Amino acid sequence: MIAILEIQDLHVSYRSSGGGLCPALTSVSFGLMPGEIMGVLGESGSGKSTLAGSLVRLLPANARITRGAVQFEETDLLRANADELRQIRGRRISLIFQEPSLALHPTMRVGEQVRQVLAAHDSLGKSALNEQTRQVFDQVFPEEADRISHSYPHQLSGGQRQRVLIAQAIACGPSVVIADEPTASLDPTTQMEILGVFRNLREKLGLAMIFITHNPALLCGFADRVLVLYAGKVAECGPAETVLASPRHPYTKALFHSIPTVFDRPGNTRKTKLPAILGDSARSSLPIQGCPFEPRCTERMDTCKEREPTRVNLSASHTVSCFKYES
Amino acid sequence: MKMQRALTRWLLALGALHGTVVCAGFFAPYDPAVQNRMYPYLPPMRVHLVDTQGHLHARPFVYQPKLRVGSFDQYEEDITDPRPVKFLPSGDYYRLLGFLSCRRHLFGAKNARIYLLGTDAYGRDQLSRLLFGGQVSLVAGLLGAGITLLIGMCIGAVAGYFGGWRDTLLMRLAELFMALPWLYLLFAIRAFLPLAVSPLKAFFLIIVVIGTVGWARPARLVRGVVLSAKERDFVRAARGFGATNGYLLRRHILPETSSVLLTQAAILIPQYVLAEMTLSFLGLGVPEPVPSWGNLLSSLQQYSVLISHWWMYLPAVAIVPFYLGYLGLASSLHERGAAYKIESRILGNLT
Repeated sequence: MIAILEIQDLHVSYRSSGGGLCPALTSVSFGLMPGEIMGVLGESGSGKSTLAGSLVRLLPANARITRGAVQFEETDLLRANADELRQIRGRRISLIFQEPSLALHPTMRVGEQVRQVLAAHDSLGKSALNEQTRQVFDQVFPEEADRISHSYPHQLSGGQRQRVLIAQAIACGPSVVIADEPTASLDPTTQMEILGVFRNLREKLGLAMIFITHNPALLCGFADRVLVLYAGKVAECGPAETVLASPRHPYTKALFHSIPTVFDRPGNTRKTKLPAILGDSARSSLPIQGCPFEPRCTERMDTCKEREPTRVNLSASHTVSCFKYES
Repeated sequence: MKMQRALTRWLLALGALHGTVVCAGFFAPYDPAVQNRMYPYLPPMRVHLVDTQGHLHARPFVYQPKLRVGSFDQYEEDITDPRPVKFLPSGDYYRLLGFLSCRRHLFGAKNARIYLLGTDAYGRDQLSRLLFGGQVSLVAGLLGAGITLLIGMCIGAVAGYFGGWRDTLLMRLAELFMALPWLYLLFAIRAFLPLAVSPLKAFFLIIVVIGTVGWARPARLVRGVVLSAKERDFVRAARGFGATNGYLLRRHILPETSSVLLTQAAILIPQYVLAEMTLSFLGLGVPEPVPSWGNLLSSLQQYSVLISHWWMYLPAVAIVPFYLGYLGLASSLHERGAAYKIESRILGNLT
């Protein structure tokens, strides 16, 4: 199968006010298959949102994409001109933002906001446009689609707002949806609901998704593949079952190890300390020599300090950047 | 709530002031161009209720003025000749709001002319000229401010939204315009144009000139608002869904500038009325016989008028309530905008 979105050797840096360049993403490569859900995992500052933004070139003004290519169908998105890009955004690739309360216009009815996405891409008549808007709403709000489409964002709950954003994202029938922590500000039950909406849509519309999150638990049973980012570099990438069940990279292992469990073993009343990864996440402004995870790694070796690990193929689809697996 | 009341109060006061000027034909007793060579530089007449014998009259009256014996410019009241004030009499024809032909005035005097604010060198009624002149001056201010805000909004939006070299270029240009001594610029522009132009042409000319000079400050303010608005998440989200620049500016960004523009309008309008007065005072604005506050004051250029006819200053006083009204409006608009900002910040944190 041919990847629908192919990211090759992507490098992104931020220009700091002092004039220096801080690398945010270095040499990120992966491919997204049609209809696949790719979970991107990483802590704050690991470059998750930068990745989401750079795919459709929606980065802050001080960001520079220094190298790489994002191949979508026939076009390289990083070299497309503004108009080509505009046509692709929303119609072929949609981006769902982190904060649903900020990503909706506060003084416009949400139905109108979805309608405007359709109007931006299709020159439909007024009635056809309204009809299509209604259909989109029906998909994400099986009940009371009408009432919600006439509400303002402040009248909706967080989950409902997130659904509106999803409606906007799928309005034009895109083949790729990039969701940047779409559930970060929602409570766990709503998170599950939203994941359900995504799963439904994937089945119905067959869209491929890049699902960015810092919560590995969300990816269980949801993502097909998982990509773990650390300090702007791909630490591990592989099928979800393999990576989530038996992580290989020390960072992924440590990350999963530090998920709190509500109930320990039955009968165990002794309070256990939550295992945490020692140290601070890498300061990306410092030039890093060697593996970026080396200072915090419990399995570090001498070579880790000297040079960067290269990607090791553990199997056809599972890669890890760690010296442990280099032979 | 209190703020809202203050805003309503200022709006009502300004509405009343403007209403008076708009309906100048009704409130003014005479046509502003009608001369009465009998009474040049007549001081304001007094309205009496009690006559010299001490009798109280139900209807107010004025005494017909007459020249003091042995003088040619000093008047006194002819106490043998009282003329009662009439309310809602028929008088000179005028067009109410520009199209309704009317001849009913608020007041007048039976078989006499009543000059509550005196007369000028040609015996024209100052009150009528003041009211009709207000129409010219205020329209000049309103239109001039409209032009300025339109230019300022466009330039500010382009500079803030597109940024880069356009921003640098436009903002340096704005700084240049802010540093220009606008009065002398107006002189220079006026000097380019023929000396004798029709009143209408001259009127539009000064509006355009006043309007195009002052765009720099609103443009900079709009730019600031646009800069912060375009970084909003919902603007980025809309861009992510394929919104065009035109759509983003129209629906998401320019509406945010409205409170800045309204406040600027309230500040600019009285300033521009004053600018019109300055230009007309210097003889560069609307020419005679069309009255405007500026050219009503231009007779003050003569020293004899300056020292002996105090009522010729009154047009200068007329701007004061307008200026105060607009500044009050500006400050309550500003407070209202600030309050909304605080409110939305708090709400934004909660949700």
